[in-house]
Amino acid sequence: MAEIKIKNLHKEFGTGEDKVVALEDVNLEITGHSFVSIVGPSGCGKSTLLNILTGIETPTNGTVEITSDGHVAAPGYVFQAARLLPWRTVTDNLLFVQEDRSDETKKRCQRYLEMVQLGDKGDKFPGELSGGMQQRVGIARAFSIEPDVLFMDEPFSHLDAITARALRRELHHMWDETKKMVVFVTHDVGEAVELSNRILVFAKGGSLEDDIQIDLPFPRDPADDEVAVAKAHVLRKFEELDLLAS
Amino acid sequence: MTVTETRPSAAGRSQPTPSPAQRLIAMPVRIAKSPHSARVLFPIALFVVWLLSLAAVEEIWPFAVDVLPTPSEVGGFMWDEFVTDTLARKNLYETFFISLRRLMSGFAIAMVLGTGLGLAMGLSRATNAFCHDWTMAILAMPALAWALFNSIIFGFDDRGPILTVILAGIPFVIVNVREGVRNTPRELFDMARSFQVPQSKIIRHVLVPSLMPFMFAAARYCFSIGWKGLVIAEVFGGQDGAGWTIKFWYDAHRAHGVVGYAAFFVIFAILFERLVFEPVSRRAFRWRPQLQTEVVEEAFGEHHEHYGEDHHGEGEAARR
Ligand SMILES: Nc1ncnc2c1ncn2[C@@H]1O[C@H](COP(=O)(O)OP(=O)(O)OP(=O)(O)O)[C@@H](O)[C@H]1O
Ligand SMILES: [Mg+2]
Repeated sequence: MAEIKIKNLHKEFGTGEDKVVALEDVNLEITGHSFVSIVGPSGCGKSTLLNILTGIETPTNGTVEITSDGHVAAPGYVFQAARLLPWRTVTDNLLFVQEDRSDETKKRCQRYLEMVQLGDKGDKFPGELSGGMQQRVGIARAFSIEPDVLFMDEPFSHLDAITARALRRELHHMWDETKKMVVFVTHDVGEAVELSNRILVFAKGGSLEDDIQIDLPFPRDPADDEVAVAKAHVLRKFEELDLLAS
Repeated sequence: MTVTETRPSAAGRSQPTPSPAQRLIAMPVRIAKSPHSARVLFPIALFVVWLLSLAAVEEIWPFAVDVLPTPSEVGGFMWDEFVTDTLARKNLYETFFISLRRLMSGFAIAMVLGTGLGLAMGLSRATNAFCHDWTMAILAMPALAWALFNSIIFGFDDRGPILTVILAGIPFVIVNVREGVRNTPRELFDMARSFQVPQSKIIRHVLVPSLMPFMFAAARYCFSIGWKGLVIAEVFGGQDGAGWTIKFWYDAHRAHGVVGYAAFFVIFAILFERLVFEPVSRRAFRWRPQLQTEVVEEAFGEHHEHYGEDHHGEGEAARR
C-alpha cells in the first residue's frame, strides 16, 4: 500500500522582485487505494506539487514522503506535455524507463502500447506521431513500469473526447485492478468527479482550500443524477472560493 | 433542429483536361523549371561564361592567350593527373592522401579538445569566462596568420599544417558544443530522473543524442574550415600535399594546373560531403525525417542569431 505524507510544504521560485509562491503551507496525507484529483485554476501549483512528489523539484520548506510498504515508492509520471525522447522510437521510449530489456519487459511495454491503441506504432519516432498520439505514448510509458503511485498531469486534455473517454475507462479499470494509488491533476471538474474518490481544491497562491470525499460507486455516468449533484457541489465550492472568476 | 449533410461532389473538383497542343507547349517549360535541369544547367552556363570571357579578354589583351587556361587545357591536365601522369613530385592520390592524413589528425584533435573545452565552458560559468575571449581571438585570426606562424615555428614538417587545422577548426567546435550544452533539454532530464533512470543511461540516451546536432555542425565546420587552413599552411610550410602542389603549378606558370588543382579541391570537398557527412547525418538524424541534413546548418544559424543578441560582436566573428 502506498502512502503520501506532505507536511508544511512550501515552495517558491525566484527571489526578491521575481519571487513567486507556488505552494503555501500544504498539509496532506493520501493512503492506500485512492484516486485523488487535484483541481484549481491555472498557476496554482498543481504541476509543481507533482514535480516535488516525483523528486524533480525540491521543496523550499517542509517535507514530502512517498512510501510503499515501508520502502520508497516507485512513481510513474504522465507529464502535461508528452516529454518523449525524439531520437528514440516509441518502443525504445518505453524501454528507456524500464529496469531491464528482457522479453517479459518488452511484452509488457507492447501490451501498454496496445492499451493506448498504438500497438502498431512501436517503430515510429515521436515526430512522426500526432500530438495526441505522443501524449498516449507518455501515458503508456508511465503505466508500463507498473508504478506504486501514478501521477498524471492533465493527461487527457489534449485528446479528442472519444479517445479520452476510452482511456479514462482504461485508467479506472487499471486502478481498480491493481489497487494502486493515482494522483490526477485536471482543470475539468466533471472529469474529477467522474474518476476520483477524493478531490483536492487548490487556490491561486498554492494553498489547499478544500478536501472533498466523493463516495459514489464506480463506474460513474456523468448523466447520472448523483454524479451531477456531486459535480454541482464541487462547482459551488469553487464559486465560494471565488475560483471560477480566475 | 435539422441537420443537413452535403457531400462535396466529385465532379466539381475535376479539372478540364489539356489539349495535346497545350501539353506540347507545357512540356519544355516544365523541364526547364524542374530543379534537376536547373542543376544541370549550371555547369553549362559556367562553361559558356568561361569561353565568352576568354574571347573577351583575348580581344582586349592578345598576350593573355598564353596565360589564360582554356577548358580543354584544364580538362586535359585533370585527366593526366587522374591517370597519375604528372610532372609534380607526387601524383594526385599521394598528394591528397598526405593532405587528408594531416587534415584528419588536426580534425580529430580539434574535435576532442574542442568538445572537452566546449563541455567545460557550457557547464561552468567560470571556465566560460576564462576561455571566452581566447576562443574569440582564435576565431578572429585568419587561417593565413596561423599558417605563417606555424611555418616559422615548425619549418617544413607535418606539425605546422596540422596545428593550423586545429587552430582554424577548434573555435567552431568549442562554440557549438558549448551551445549544445546550454540547450540541453531540461524537461527530458527531469523526466528521466522522475522515472529513476540511472545516471549513465541518462548520459547515453539523453545528453549525448541532444548534443549530436551540435557536434555534427561542429564537425562539418571544423572539417571545411580546417581544410582551407590546411591548404594555406601547405602553401607556406609544406614540402608536399595539396596546397604545396597548387603552389608548384603556380611557380611553374601553369595556369591550367592551378585551375585544375583548385577543381580537385572542390571535388574532394564535395565527395567528402556526399560520402561521409550526408550518410552519417541521414543515419544519425533519422528521427527528424522531414529535415534531413539541412537541420545542421539551421541549428548553427539559429544559435548564432541568438548569440548575437547576448554578446555583441561574437556573432559577427563566428559567422565568417
Ligand atoms: N521552474 C519554475 N521557475 C519559476 N517559476 C515557476 C517554475 N515552475 C512553476 N513556476 C511558477 O509557479 C507557479 C505554479 O506553477 P505550476 O506549473 O505548478 O501551475 P499549474 O497549477 O500546474 O498551472 P497549469 O494549470 O496552467 O498547468 C506559477 O506561477 C509558475 O509561474
Ligand atoms: Mg500544470
